[in-house]
Amino acid sequence: MIDLTAELHRYLGFDSFRPGQREVLENLFAGRDTLAILPTGGGKTLLYQLYGAITHQRVVIVSPLISLMQDQVSRLQYLGSKRVVAITSAMDFQERAAILRNLNHYQYIYVSPEMLSNRNIFEMIARQSIGLFVIDEAHCISEWGPDFRPDYLRLGRIRHQLENPLTLMMTATATQRTRDDILNRMGFTATGVKQLVLPTNRSNIFLSAKICANLPEKNEQLETLVKELNGAGIIYFSSKKQTEQIAAMLSQKTDKRVMAYHGGMDNQRRFLIQQQFMNGDIDIVCATSAFGMGIDKENVRYVIHYHLPDNIQSYVQEIGRCGRDQQPSLAILLYEPNDQYLQQNLIANTIPEEQLLRYLYQHPDKLQNNDAFRVIKYYYDIGKTVDQTLAIFDQAKSRRIGELNALIQYIYTTGCRRKLLLQHFDETVEHVDPEFCCDFHTDFWGNWRQFNQQYLKSSETDQGVQSTDWHQIIDKLFLLKN
Amino acid sequence: MDLSTLYLIFGDANQDRRAKAIKNILDGRRTVSNLYWGLEYGLLPYFGALHDFDLGDEQAAVDTLNKAGLATVSDGLLYRLSSRGVDQQNQFQASVTPLNELATVAQYDIVRFSRRFIFAVQVVSEYSYSNNRYYPQTIGFFDDQLIKRWFIQNKQRNLSNYFHQLLQQFLSGLENDQLADIFAASLTGHGFSGLTEDQLAVQTDLEPTIIQLNWLKLYSRLFLLLNKDPETPLQLLLTGLTKPLMSGSAKQTFDLFVSVRQPDPATIAQLRKIKLTTVYEHLIEAAIELPLEQFPYQRLLHKQTITNLRQAAPVNVGEWQFKAAKAQIADLQFFEFRLFQISERKKGDND
Repeated sequence: MIDLTAELHRYLGFDSFRPGQREVLENLFAGRDTLAILPTGGGKTLLYQLYGAITHQRVVIVSPLISLMQDQVSRLQYLGSKRVVAITSAMDFQERAAILRNLNHYQYIYVSPEMLSNRNIFEMIARQSIGLFVIDEAHCISEWGPDFRPDYLRLGRIRHQLENPLTLMMTATATQRTRDDILNRMGFTATGVKQLVLPTNRSNIFLSAKICANLPEKNEQLETLVKELNGAGIIYFSSKKQTEQIAAMLSQKTDKRVMAYHGGMDNQRRFLIQQQFMNGDIDIVCATSAFGMGIDKENVRYVIHYHLPDNIQSYVQEIGRCGRDQQPSLAILLYEPNDQYLQQNLIANTIPEEQLLRYLYQHPDKLQNNDAFRVIKYYYDIGKTVDQTLAIFDQAKSRRIGELNALIQYIYTTGCRRKLLLQHFDETVEHVDPEFCCDFHTDFWGNWRQFNQQYLKSSETDQGVQSTDWHQIIDKLFLLKN
Repeated sequence: MDLSTLYLIFGDANQDRRAKAIKNILDGRRTVSNLYWGLEYGLLPYFGALHDFDLGDEQAAVDTLNKAGLATVSDGLLYRLSSRGVDQQNQFQASVTPLNELATVAQYDIVRFSRRFIFAVQVVSEYSYSNNRYYPQTIGFFDDQLIKRWFIQNKQRNLSNYFHQLLQQFLSGLENDQLADIFAASLTGHGFSGLTEDQLAVQTDLEPTIIQLNWLKLYSRLFLLLNKDPETPLQLLLTGLTKPLMSGSAKQTFDLFVSVRQPDPATIAQLRKIKLTTVYEHLIEAAIELPLEQFPYQRLLHKQTITNLRQAAPVNVGEWQFKAAKAQIADLQFFEFRLFQISERKKGDND
């Protein structure tokens, strides 16, 4: 029997597991395929990293987040593994060819589902012996999940073609329906897979929402909060441009150090801002949902949503980035009535209209090599008629609108927010601490300053000011040896 | 980078300059037209120097200058600096002086060098603190591998002392401490995250674009310094950074042209299986890029054509339009006309 705690200490330097980690590893070492639903910050990366470290076997991780895959590589390197590589469509031909030629040198291989559907890449991966096949963000497999990706549907077949390696499917949030769908599409039976579902509830995060009359009032509210809230914070937006505009506004009007972050920035800039945030050189990041994956900051005290998140599942994931240190933290959703229309527009833009769909069915050559039409191409390729595909998209649209309505309901609820949020994941709350739950139980908005003083503590490590004197900088950078 | 700032730096008070061409020159869009205007404006040394940067929209940039009274704008996005524009230009140029150091960025891939250097600093910095838990930068698959290989080969050489000493010497040798501070802020490592250009701009009261140009200038200087030192442990970081003077295809055409016994563009087109007009473009590119004496003008321009052109040419040959020249010399080809302009310009520069 392996002493997992000793191995954890040996390879990664930690003394204890987070909830659920040990159980997942025990299942894997018993050779059982596993579906793990662990909350954000629950340490999902550690699961396959430690499994790989102990067994010295190769781990292939299928991840849908192409733009963030490099962050995942960095994160694994940060945690001590060096033979890590990502194969994504963002690479140029030469880079990809060089990686594929040397694939056997890597122990951890990240690959996007689209890349894995490429015959050449699949064959190269299939030639390697695979100790563990990991499907990250497994909710993308499910059409009931919010981020459905057609290439994920091929994963069941791909796993079979890889001769059914031991498989770990992971996600932070999934409803029962989504979980059933994941297993079904991967070709598992409910009894053939060990399921480990950890509670979504994060009792150290206080939940609140504020309905503002209009945009100026929302901006004013944001400014007031940012001026006074203690500690590090993340503000989420659904528009890249707005991250920059609001970051500039907050820098100007408050004494907080605020920077914008989004996927459209170059690697170097994104890296710098992450580093600064982690080191406490900046207080607040105005970000799109791209922010969070590559950082491991324990003491984020609050998350504010300036725009509506995509759905309740995303919301829970995003607010999960505060309070990883288990200290009291705060989630605020700011809303003004027009936000609803912004979200409706986003939904309308991501789901193709009937006219376009019919045109593409008549001109299928236009479906080739166009990422925007990937989902349509998938249905076209598997032989769905145009009307069937239309019906699928209508259904998707209704689902997205349903999800939006659920969010609006969360905002306007006159009951306990936590209860409502967790209902979505078929969870109930056993013990509510009315003092620290949500703005239903206490007059949070009348007393938020007091709440701030009482619960949100600035971290001492976040008070630093970076020197700009070059002598000091180079003295700091290099520890000299005699 | 802010294009209107660049337009000020690379603009002129005595010549209408094509905004589009200047952007293309800095971006390194290798067309015969862009190369020609690069030559004409004296900006050829900066060709492609800012290729790695997002330069923004030329119309908006010119409008900004116009609105601020810094330049006048005429049709076809031609702009000319006003006297206020020249004042501003002088200010900007003074904060990136000497500007001609940016020419190194056109000859070598300095952006790539700076990324390698900054990454190497991070690795060495963390190693000096015996810390192997950090987020490494990613600067592309090949350069990530290069840094890895370099570090494995050199980590026994007390790199932390080497870097400290190198930077101590390099930074104390700069014109002033502000420049040294700007350079140091580009670094990142143990306990120091570094600053973005806009953060640094706030602290120094300089434009973010000026900060970026200074970074380029300083990394160019550091690159040349290291390149002179055959003993530097950073040798591997300096490899593969030379930018070709000409496009590969133009060079092939030119090499073939000077090597065949009786050079003739039509024969070259046949041999290379390319269009005749492409051969002309390649030869013009070679004429622009090479020093006057290295290009065989006499083989491509008949003496009589030169005489005719000289007789008809206005004082400012550079701005002479082909249409006007053709009206005076009936059988003139555009290729001949352009070659003449290039050779005249180069003779003027040599004088």
